[in-house]
Amino acid sequence: MLESRNIVKKFLNKTAVDGISVKLSPGRVYAMLGPNGSGKTTWMKMAAGLIKPTSGEMLYEGTPVGIESRKHITYMSTEPYFYTWMTAGDAGRYYADFFEDFHMDSYLSLLERMELRPEMKTRSLSSGMMAKMKIAVTLARDARVYLLDEPFNGIDLLARDEIRQTILERAGEDKTMMLSSHLVEEMEAIADTALFIKDGRLAEEADLEALRTERGLSMADRYREIYGHTEVRA
Amino acid sequence: MKNLMKYEFRKTLFTKLMVLGLTAMAQIAFLIGLYGDNERVLAAGVVLLTLLAFGGITVIGLASVVILHRDMNTKQSYMLFMTPNSSYKILGAKMLENGLSILLCGAFFFALGALDITLLFGRQGLLNELWNTLREMLQTIDSRITLDYPTMLALTANILATWISTVSCAYLGVVISTALFSGRRWSGFVSFLIILALLWLTGFIQLKGTAPIEAVRTVFLVDAAIAMGLSAVMYLVTVQIMERKLSV
Repeated sequence: MLESRNIVKKFLNKTAVDGISVKLSPGRVYAMLGPNGSGKTTWMKMAAGLIKPTSGEMLYEGTPVGIESRKHITYMSTEPYFYTWMTAGDAGRYYADFFEDFHMDSYLSLLERMELRPEMKTRSLSSGMMAKMKIAVTLARDARVYLLDEPFNGIDLLARDEIRQTILERAGEDKTMMLSSHLVEEMEAIADTALFIKDGRLAEEADLEALRTERGLSMADRYREIYGHTEVRA
Repeated sequence: MKNLMKYEFRKTLFTKLMVLGLTAMAQIAFLIGLYGDNERVLAAGVVLLTLLAFGGITVIGLASVVILHRDMNTKQSYMLFMTPNSSYKILGAKMLENGLSILLCGAFFFALGALDITLLFGRQGLLNELWNTLREMLQTIDSRITLDYPTMLALTANILATWISTVSCAYLGVVISTALFSGRRWSGFVSFLIILALLWLTGFIQLKGTAPIEAVRTVFLVDAAIAMGLSAVMYLVTVQIMERKLSV
């Protein structure tokens, strides 16, 4: 469905992504993990068609990502990106104007569930409320691929539960979910595949069920092994 | 495209409402001065309306350049570039909305000016004084300019088209700065130099293109046509850079 082939992105003298090759399948929830600056966000932005790779390819259904793929891939940035004059309702209308797969009724019910109101001004939302609004507007699309960059950032425990539940409800056999987060334990309950990114490279792609049954490791244990110096015993 | 233009209009709405509000206040001053026989208030109204006519058009153009810069260099860029629209449509919507806004603003001020001059006809003396000042002002620019409505219309079209091509040069400069030199310390300065070079080049082409023409009204119209042609070229170059190089 979504595939990156030896993709590289350089910014001036820094290589943010250094030859990541990975193929994402429908019906799976991927956790993209790695410390700050490891290249997770850059990879996601290339998948969303927002930044152009220096070399390599990012393909959706076999063709390079671009205008057509944006109809099927939805991306939620970790930073707020709405126009400052917008209300939550305006943001929904904006999505409805540009994305055929956006469902306003679903958006309004997600807003209600997140305890937000359409008339709320986006510029006066707290960081937690903004995170919930971004989730609502992104998940109200019936897209094929969901790229959620740090969806749990700055959100309290109860809101995290709500968001996790909403993400799981949206996941389906024909959909690919990709989430990045620093909250590794939080991701354990959602993801079925982990992509460990280190220094712009794919250090490991791990099936979490196999990791647990065959090696007796949790995702957090494997994370510590890859990025830390702690030996974890099975 | 329609939706893109709708949101471009929304982004510049505040600037347009400001220009409209200030113009309404200046027009009220003009009318109070005219019908209250108060020369000082009338003069203030005339000066303010003249400044607003040029200032309003200038501000609308500049605001669109600032918005383009913001749409490419802040996180708000995602709102535009994650939608399934090509750079042709995104930039096209910006240029069309801005071009139409400048033309409508120009037409509005031309009509308002014509109306106010007509109102002044009822006030002998005041009109002659104003008319002579305006004629002297225009003849210092070009001694061939005569003060009649067709020439004024051609001059207005010329000013608006030249301003649209100036804004197009600025668009290209902003895109070059973002797409080719993004993150480099000297990118702003280089972009500024590029904009100056483009303005010189377009001015040179317009000058060469109109040099053989004698009739002043024809000069204005041909000059305007060249400016619009150059805007189209600038659009195509800008879009090509966006399509190939732009990362937001």
